Amino acid sequence: MASIGKIARRTFLLGAAAVAGGVAVGYWYVSRPYENPLEGEVAKGEATFNPYVKIASDDTITVIAPRAEMGQGVATTLAAFVAEELDVTLDRIKVEHGPASYAYYNAEMLAESGPFNFFDDSFLAEMTRSALGTVGKVLGLQGTGGSTSARDGFEKMRQAGAATRAVLMQAAAARLSLPVAELATENGRIVHARSGRSVSYGEVALDAASIAPPKSVTLRDKKDWKLLGKTQQRVDMHDKVTGAPIFGIDVRLPDMLYATVLISPVFGAKPVKADTSKAEKMSGVIKIVPLETVYGSGFGVIAKNTWAAFKGAEALDVEWGKPVNPADTDGLMQVIADAATKGEGDVMRNDGDVETAFADAPQAQLIEAEYRVPYLSHAPMEPMNCTAQLKDGHLTVWAPNQMPTLIRWLCADLAGVPLEQTTVHTTYMGGAFGRRGEIDYALYATLIAKEADGHPVKVTWTREEDMQHDCYRSAFIARMRARLGDDGLPQALDLRVAGQSMMASLVGRIFPGRSAPGPDNTTTDGSHNQPYTIPNYRVTGIKAPLTLPVSFWRSVGNSQNGFFHESAMDEIAHAGKTDPIELRRKLMREFPAAVAVVDKVAAMSNWGEKLPEGKAKGFAFVLSFGSWCAQVVQIAQTPGGIKLEKMWIAVDVGTALDPGIIEQQMVSGAIFGLSAAMNQKITFADGRVEQSNFHDFDAMRIFQAPQFEVAILENYHRMGGVGEVGTPPAAPALANAVFALTGKRVRSLPLSDEVVFA
Amino acid sequence: MRLNVNGNSLEIDADPDMPLLWALRDIAGIMGPKFGCGIAACGACTVHIDGVPVRSCSLPVGAVEGEITTIEGLSKGGELHPVQQAWLEEQVAQCGYCQAGQIMTAVALLDEIAEPTDEDIDNAMGGNLCRCGTYPRIRAAVKRAAALKTAEL
Amino acid sequence: MNWRGRLLTATAMLMLTAPSFAQDNAPSQQEGLAAWQQVYAVFSHPRCANCHVADERPRWVGAAGSAERIHAFNVQRGVDGSGFGNAGLRCTSCHFESNSKHLNGPPGAPSWHLAPAEMVWHKISSAGICAQIKDPERNGGRTLQEIAEHVREDPLVGWGWKPGPGREPAPGSAEGTYEELERWAAAGAPCPQE
Repeated sequence: MASIGKIARRTFLLGAAAVAGGVAVGYWYVSRPYENPLEGEVAKGEATFNPYVKIASDDTITVIAPRAEMGQGVATTLAAFVAEELDVTLDRIKVEHGPASYAYYNAEMLAESGPFNFFDDSFLAEMTRSALGTVGKVLGLQGTGGSTSARDGFEKMRQAGAATRAVLMQAAAARLSLPVAELATENGRIVHARSGRSVSYGEVALDAASIAPPKSVTLRDKKDWKLLGKTQQRVDMHDKVTGAPIFGIDVRLPDMLYATVLISPVFGAKPVKADTSKAEKMSGVIKIVPLETVYGSGFGVIAKNTWAAFKGAEALDVEWGKPVNPADTDGLMQVIADAATKGEGDVMRNDGDVETAFADAPQAQLIEAEYRVPYLSHAPMEPMNCTAQLKDGHLTVWAPNQMPTLIRWLCADLAGVPLEQTTVHTTYMGGAFGRRGEIDYALYATLIAKEADGHPVKVTWTREEDMQHDCYRSAFIARMRARLGDDGLPQALDLRVAGQSMMASLVGRIFPGRSAPGPDNTTTDGSHNQPYTIPNYRVTGIKAPLTLPVSFWRSVGNSQNGFFHESAMDEIAHAGKTDPIELRRKLMREFPAAVAVVDKVAAMSNWGEKLPEGKAKGFAFVLSFGSWCAQVVQIAQTPGGIKLEKMWIAVDVGTALDPGIIEQQMVSGAIFGLSAAMNQKITFADGRVEQSNFHDFDAMRIFQAPQFEVAILENYHRMGGVGEVGTPPAAPALANAVFALTGKRVRSLPLSDEVVFA
Repeated sequence: MRLNVNGNSLEIDADPDMPLLWALRDIAGIMGPKFGCGIAACGACTVHIDGVPVRSCSLPVGAVEGEITTIEGLSKGGELHPVQQAWLEEQVAQCGYCQAGQIMTAVALLDEIAEPTDEDIDNAMGGNLCRCGTYPRIRAAVKRAAALKTAEL
Repeated sequence: MNWRGRLLTATAMLMLTAPSFAQDNAPSQQEGLAAWQQVYAVFSHPRCANCHVADERPRWVGAAGSAERIHAFNVQRGVDGSGFGNAGLRCTSCHFESNSKHLNGPPGAPSWHLAPAEMVWHKISSAGICAQIKDPERNGGRTLQEIAEHVREDPLVGWGWKPGPGREPAPGSAEGTYEELERWAAAGAPCPQE
């Protein structure tokens, strides 16, 4: 993997230079950072105008939505950006994912990774965001994550639509011998109202493609939007209700072989002894291939069909090496607990003087608590899979993935072919939740393809392999202490959050041998950057010295910190005899957007009403990915256990691009968070994950799902994300409701370790 | 062996122990039923045999007797089945991976109970896991499908 | 695949009645109680009791010694009381004629269903099950001979001794349990105190 090191050095150098230079992100085709990747692939009679638009003479309009569609509706919203300015309705366009290309860099993904709170609008914060966005451009990192896709595409894709419309109008003016100023567009046609003459976009597309794009364009005012701001029919819905073969696992190619993998269940261990002879003799098995990557070591089984590959993998007799981390959950949690108690950490927020505030605190005004969350698997419905073919010096990869340019780099390197001879197709994804930001499935498929004599090979993991070889959400332990004032409000809050560093784990996998120095925002995201004002307020992140693979899990650091911070707030409210919502109103008074969602959800849920015996409500608020989200959940004690009756969500997204999709995502995010809070944990024994499938790592089912009511607000002046925002408040809202119902403060997830759910 | 799938008789060359799911997907090229767990715990592979929903990932192909219907066999003559139409109108799917299974279960439910309550829906569909959390819209879509089916009669 | 047909068969079985049998040289009461103890060990074993429940929900016990829990997925007896599940989610949607060979896959036997609600073995004492077995109102109207034959011959009952990978079988065998039932009946079908 020598050249990966080179890539790493090169990119880090470029990144550093770009930050130092403070280059501004430009309008893409003014600065033209990258070639238009569509230029090489237009068909006869088809024209491309920029990386986002192709128009054919037969009026087929193709829009490229270059972010991974994993269910969050991004293909629809991104297509609507272009369509809005191109002045066509969504049913007139074909949406494609497009190739893996630097032209589709995600600037926003890095912009929000700087050390500034989302609500910090200072010059320094803005400059750093812009500079980090530029790094995104320079790296050409085409990624989907961090709830950034719509924010990233909002300007550049609308500009692409507007610029295309401008040249189409110019071409039409020439064709009709009329001044441009007298022409208008009408859903795919350019019309001259006075004479009634018109041409379609397709008729002038080839002419228009040779016209230089305008230096600047004027975008439609929000009040003039025809598509944006309104619920659209999702562009992927018809395929998804008819069972169309759109997922990675549905790839089917001529002469295709099938395969699966058996990777060491002991993280970091290699095979010590292996007998492959029985597997090799199994009916339908073609070849056993040893695999070794930065993710893990093991075997690939190539066969005539997937089931034969599964049976072959079962027949492999392998003895694996010893674990390098503590072998069981207790041992792992002890390391994290030690880090929480005495580990040196990074102070991520430090208002006032916490030490002094606690030095003279009377015992009666002190609250102390420890919170715990377990390791978690992503468990998307579609198990990891990837199809690869290495033929005539060209590597082609079909992967349901969130990081196509990264896959292109690293798989090209692994296959020993130049980048130009490597094509990555991104398919639809049967869920991802961060899992498909990893690239292990593509590395294994590439190694297997090298041994397949030019055949394409579809590599499908079993569910067991998927669940036991995830890059997990780390377990975390938080130590909280608070000092209350005489008014019941917190005078001081000190949170120490310890767990594995996700960034360290990630950098170690993608750039072996490198470390990620400095603080890791993701450890304390959701605790250090919340819109509360407390005079003495400190949040410290501590990296636990463990090396299990950990990674992004829907809402990342907010997934654990939402629970820590908002459980703490509820405890403070009760200890200080303040209503939990009233406490938020007081502590968040400097942030009107936050108070507005709190007020809204309180009104929707009729907070404060007297509930019948056996029912209770819980509240939580988390600002994440630029959106302000407050949730109330109502639960009831039933003979079969606690039942979730209803959840109310109020969210401020700044600008609501598609209310239907936003509502979907809020519910989706909340159910994802509730699923984990109720039941999920990944535990270890003998260095291996104990859970293996949905019978012991289940998620919420329809009969457990509460009713939902969602309100979307647009008070804040910057646009927020949508895909992950519903997740962080869900666990604390439920835990706080359980406290209100039972008087039992459950400080460790999953809640089902302490209470029974129906 | 011969399988009757969506009204077509198919000759399948497969080990009788192979689960029906893989015979459909890898051999017959019928990709609607999805692989999710392999142990009948998620419902993504649901197909009908003589109208009864079954988890094709756990049923040996050699044990199949009867007419198999997959999601591909629901729509007739280009017309969506009322359940599919309702799914479209309620905009149910997110990632969409589980939805073929959800739809097949909903079709079977509605064949037995023409106007299901929330409780009937919850009783029928607990075996179909959705990680995107589309459940509230599934409930709405099943009821809309019931109305569409009634209107068709 | 037709659960309705099976339901009819099961119901028909419930209607069957036949005279009980008697034997010469009967074993002693003590021998009878010892035989019952073997039978109880089978009937109260999770492979049997998990589907002989008082409420609407079958139980799961995973690997030997793991905690019992309610069957996932909202699986229930069925609003029609049939024991074959609910519309859209029949037992036979997942439980086929034979065991899945996959670890944690669904076990299978012909006509998979819950025992009728009056035949409760789950969390019932030895005396309680014993009284039930002798009560035609709660044993499907069977004679003791018929019960013994049912245990020996019914494929779903027989599944308890070959439950597939990862599950602990019920103790003994179908034939052995048949013989214990005969011995117990011959001893006058004595029931223990508790």
